[in-house]
Amino acid sequence: MPALFFPHRYPPLLRVAVLVLLSAFVSVLSKKYPNMESVSLTMAYPVQWTSMQEAGFWRQADNYLQSRAALESENIRLHAELIRAQPKLLEADILRNENRQLLALLDSIPQPPGKVTVAQVIAQNFSPGSQLLTVNMGARAGVFVGQPVLAAGGVAGQVIRVSPMSSQVALLSDLDSSIPVQPAGADTPLLVDGRGDIDRLAIPFQPRNTTLKVGDKLVTSGLGGRYPPGLNVGTISAVIHNGDQPFAQIAVQPAVRLGQLNTVLMLWDRPFPRPATTP
Amino acid sequence: MIAIALILGLFFALTAEIIPCGPLYALLHPDFVALLLIYWAISSNSELSFTIVWLIGLFQDMVLGDMLGAQAIAGVVMIYLLYTSLGRVRRLPSWEQLFFIFLLLLTHRLLVWLWQAWAGFITWHFSLLLGPLIGALLWPLFTLILDYLRHALRPRHT
Repeated sequence: MPALFFPHRYPPLLRVAVLVLLSAFVSVLSKKYPNMESVSLTMAYPVQWTSMQEAGFWRQADNYLQSRAALESENIRLHAELIRAQPKLLEADILRNENRQLLALLDSIPQPPGKVTVAQVIAQNFSPGSQLLTVNMGARAGVFVGQPVLAAGGVAGQVIRVSPMSSQVALLSDLDSSIPVQPAGADTPLLVDGRGDIDRLAIPFQPRNTTLKVGDKLVTSGLGGRYPPGLNVGTISAVIHNGDQPFAQIAVQPAVRLGQLNTVLMLWDRPFPRPATTP
Repeated sequence: MIAIALILGLFFALTAEIIPCGPLYALLHPDFVALLLIYWAISSNSELSFTIVWLIGLFQDMVLGDMLGAQAIAGVVMIYLLYTSLGRVRRLPSWEQLFFIFLLLLTHRLLVWLWQAWAGFITWHFSLLLGPLIGALLWPLFTLILDYLRHALRPRHT
């Protein structure tokens, strides 16, 4: 292996020290210029694409090897789920119509319905420090930083970096993630923070005599304007009043199984931005 | 031929780190790139350049989408520590070598963790210990496969 750029006549410790400083420099630079992260995401795309193909191959092999009995039982389960879901769909239709009529009565302009597109997960990175997914839709598909990402069950997270072909999603469990919520049916503003644990979120800074209790469902409150109101976030799974802690410790079970995502839904709350066409 | 094999090996090690296979795999998988670097350093006759280790680490950061520089610095420090006692490690019996590999992988993991903690705040997690442990236990199998591949790909002079 040739000594690329760096002659071997310098002592090894000096070389290591210089590279450590260079790492720190790169870290600070990438925090300061978000464009750099977009470039690095683009460069990483081939590797991520390959990993998606490998995962798809394993899943196919797994499907192929699954027994007939397993498939049949899955079929029965899905049928039952469909039957259970159909009345709800009908109900939603009725509510939508009713809502339109009420809005017409109020003389207000009906909100344009949000657009939802399915995106495929091409890479995952779960470490205590970061809980990130990479999906195969990027700026070319209209994805933007801060876009809400949903999955079966509710909110999964939001887009934090965008490159032309792919984008990176910080899950709700990410250390930097925080989402404004309220208990379903009440309007107490709360925050749900990620703690680096894939199936446990937390509500910080609640007094020890809090009225929140185990089993309360939490939905987005729409504060901050990033997530539309009323989306499922999770359920309170534990409220611990520890004697010497100033605040109650409240754990939240996310509504989405964040670790098992193969596909996610990208949500455009506003009408899809069209590029201006020049005549 | 060897160069292409090395690059391909690196490529697959990188894909193995991010392959979406559920949370358990993501938390417990060993650091394949670090294992590959250690193998490379131990088995190669010529010295591995720190700059190349650094560049590989930087690309790994890009692929993982973490803070740039975390894997780069961890890789360089790990390989430096390995080189300070390379001759001894090569001559160690395999069980003691396994322990040494565990320490190296643990150093690597903890450095990455510290670098990330620089940006956020610190939480302890059991995967910080288990990942390197699984990596070290896989080491004999890993060397077996790579030794075989290296032997098969060696250019023959007839």
